[in-house]
Amino acid sequence: MIKDFFKLGWSNITKRKLRSWLTMIGIFIGIAAVVSLVSLGQGLNKYIDDEFAKLGKDKIYIQPKGGFGPGAEGTPVFSERDLKEVNKAVGVIDSAGMSMKTVKIEFNDIIRYFYAAGIPTDDTRRFIDELFLNYDIEKGRNIKAGDKYKVVLGHYYLDRMLFEKNVKLGDKVLINDVEFRVIGFYEIIGNPGDDQNIYIPQETLNELYGIDDEFSVLIAKTTPGIDPKRSAESIEKTLRKSRDVEEGSEDFYVQTTDEIMDSFNNILLIVQIVLIGIAAISLLVGGIGIMNTMYTAVLERTKEIGIMKAIGARNSSIMILFLIESGILGLVGGIIGVGIGMGISKSVELIATSALQSKLLQAYFPWYLIVGSLLFSFIVGSLSGVFPARQAAKQKPVDALRYE
Amino acid sequence: MMKDYLMLATRSIFKRRLRSWLTMIGIFIGIAAVVALVSLGQGLEHAITGQFASFGTDKLIIQAAGSGFGPPGSTVVEKLTSDDADVVRKVAGIEIVAERLIRTGAIKFNDEQRYSFIASITQDESRHLVLEALDEMMDVDVMAGRMLTKEDNYKIVVGSGYFEDKLYTRNLKLGDSLRIGTKDFEIVGFLVKSASIFGNDFVLMNDKPMREVLDIEDEVDLIAARVESLNKMNATSERVERALRKHRDVELGKEDFTVQTPEQALESLNKILNYVTWFLVFIAMISLLVGAIGIMNTMYTAVLERTKEIGIMKSVGAKNSSIMLLFLIESGILGLVGGLIGVALGVLLSKSVEVIAALVLGTQLIQAHFTLTWILGPLLFAVFVGSASGVFPAMQAAKLRPVDALRK
Repeated sequence: MIKDFFKLGWSNITKRKLRSWLTMIGIFIGIAAVVSLVSLGQGLNKYIDDEFAKLGKDKIYIQPKGGFGPGAEGTPVFSERDLKEVNKAVGVIDSAGMSMKTVKIEFNDIIRYFYAAGIPTDDTRRFIDELFLNYDIEKGRNIKAGDKYKVVLGHYYLDRMLFEKNVKLGDKVLINDVEFRVIGFYEIIGNPGDDQNIYIPQETLNELYGIDDEFSVLIAKTTPGIDPKRSAESIEKTLRKSRDVEEGSEDFYVQTTDEIMDSFNNILLIVQIVLIGIAAISLLVGGIGIMNTMYTAVLERTKEIGIMKAIGARNSSIMILFLIESGILGLVGGIIGVGIGMGISKSVELIATSALQSKLLQAYFPWYLIVGSLLFSFIVGSLSGVFPARQAAKQKPVDALRYE
Repeated sequence: MMKDYLMLATRSIFKRRLRSWLTMIGIFIGIAAVVALVSLGQGLEHAITGQFASFGTDKLIIQAAGSGFGPPGSTVVEKLTSDDADVVRKVAGIEIVAERLIRTGAIKFNDEQRYSFIASITQDESRHLVLEALDEMMDVDVMAGRMLTKEDNYKIVVGSGYFEDKLYTRNLKLGDSLRIGTKDFEIVGFLVKSASIFGNDFVLMNDKPMREVLDIEDEVDLIAARVESLNKMNATSERVERALRKHRDVELGKEDFTVQTPEQALESLNKILNYVTWFLVFIAMISLLVGAIGIMNTMYTAVLERTKEIGIMKSVGAKNSSIMLLFLIESGILGLVGGLIGVALGVLLSKSVEVIAALVLGTQLIQAHFTLTWILGPLLFAVFVGSASGVFPAMQAAKLRPVDALRK
């Protein structure tokens, strides 16, 4: 029985090929837009999750509050004593601090300003290495104990003509007017922030700025088995004491890897909702297109409906027939739309990775996205068919037969 | 003649009322989305421009290079100093120079601590220049108490947030003290609530106490210089650059400072805003495309239904071009009416967003800004989209052979 309904619906759709195509185009443009936006957004989500997972969920980050991020003037810094306190907190087995400053870097007579990170060469070095473990030095070597005016650069310096020409191993660059020798380059990380970073020995950075050990960020590692959240609370408590601040007016904040990840993903979610909301407008328009097509179909087939009713078709059968027809329009539109959407986001990914060498834009297709889009397009189709189908079902056989 | 075409087309549209409505809904949703997005985007641009035009059109802004995000001076390498300001002062064409400090700092009330912007007001002849710049930026009208005078020392005027937004456990009142750096400062005035992007938790104090409590010697975060003549703005700007290059001993192209005219300061911000707006409009345009396909569909159906009618018109002498024109006008009208309703809806939508934003968020940054271009543009576009979608169906209609059409 239901098979007959589908067969009838399908033959009606193929009878008016042009109209059916135009109607479905309306749906698949909308679905394609939504699928490509969602898959790229999900890809970005996944990238962020993966990066943080690589850093390890057992890490805790302590950053200054107020001011404008690590390294900016007026932003609080952490002292050697703070670092020691962190080390004493519950569940902390290792910790280290890093300094960051905006520096002036000159090469090829061109001056630019980038972030420089101080790399410790003492015993906390092992821990910093662990954090950067995922990223290898592509050329040359990393900073080691005893290095003074040596610098390791991010990958962009190697191939992005940041100074109208590329930097080579052994080149001399001026950092805050002091000469440094380039001893290594990091491999590509995939985002401009990290790939433009400058790494110099901690003591040299301190010397450039005439400061004692002070850190822009502290990082702690927790013992396996302990909830990082518990350690984070303990760190907050000890730091409040050592920095002499009341609860609620801390000049720092402590976040676990999970918490940082969540805050990133929340922002991303809002952006995605706005974009998808706007893209979904076209789905609404497509749905109205289906409704229009179905009303036309009901009108054209008035006589047919009359005959069916005259030989005993029930109202509900007529209604189901038209609903299935509009549902098929939605579903087929959805299938094509998902295909095109996947094609679009894959191409964006390809262009992004090959042309920009960025790993930020990756297409990711979770099963629920694909199934959800198909289901949604079927529902949009059927819903748009409800009013036309009711009109068809409610016709009186006599009137319908008499219709010319 | 033309009148007949219009009448015929309108009549066909009215005959299939439901279908025409549905077709037009497709267009007006798209147009409404575009109009609303653009007007809100331009409103934001307008609001920001209004505030940054701030430093007035007659002032040059000199900052140290490397200023990233955050207040001027916070991330720089080579700071500006009073010496630099003196150099600027001597440049021909410069009338007054203000040495401004804008920092973020810890502000304590009893034991509670928050971070906020602290800005200085100079105590020399440039005082009115600073006040003027501040006023254009964020309304420095005092709603309670008084403004700082040149002679005030450990006194501050603060944003309305301290008075009504419960920044600390309780709202503050005149006479309360806030600890900044090493000293307690008495609040002598509250500013009126401002819609500025800088918020309402600003702290204003005189230059000397600010340098004292924050331990700032001769550094300057930002030099504002008023030019004598607006027409010579660019020439003066170049002279300032030359003088500073010489004083700071840097070569052309290697400057460690920037001299910006007000327009330049705005440009980069507006560029970003433009990208965002265009991206959103692009996505919204997708729905217009879908709407256009809807018109095409409706027109094909119309051609099909009226095959016989077309045959009759042709056999009594209608030319191919007349048939084509007739259908084009019909689809154009669908576009036009859809566009009209769409623009009206879009205007309504963005106005409501503005009102809701003002009520709920208390911000005046989100405001609808309408320009003639962006009212007429989408309207013309809708007509164009309508007619363009009608081209293929109209061509099909025009090409029908009378005999075939009549036999149908």
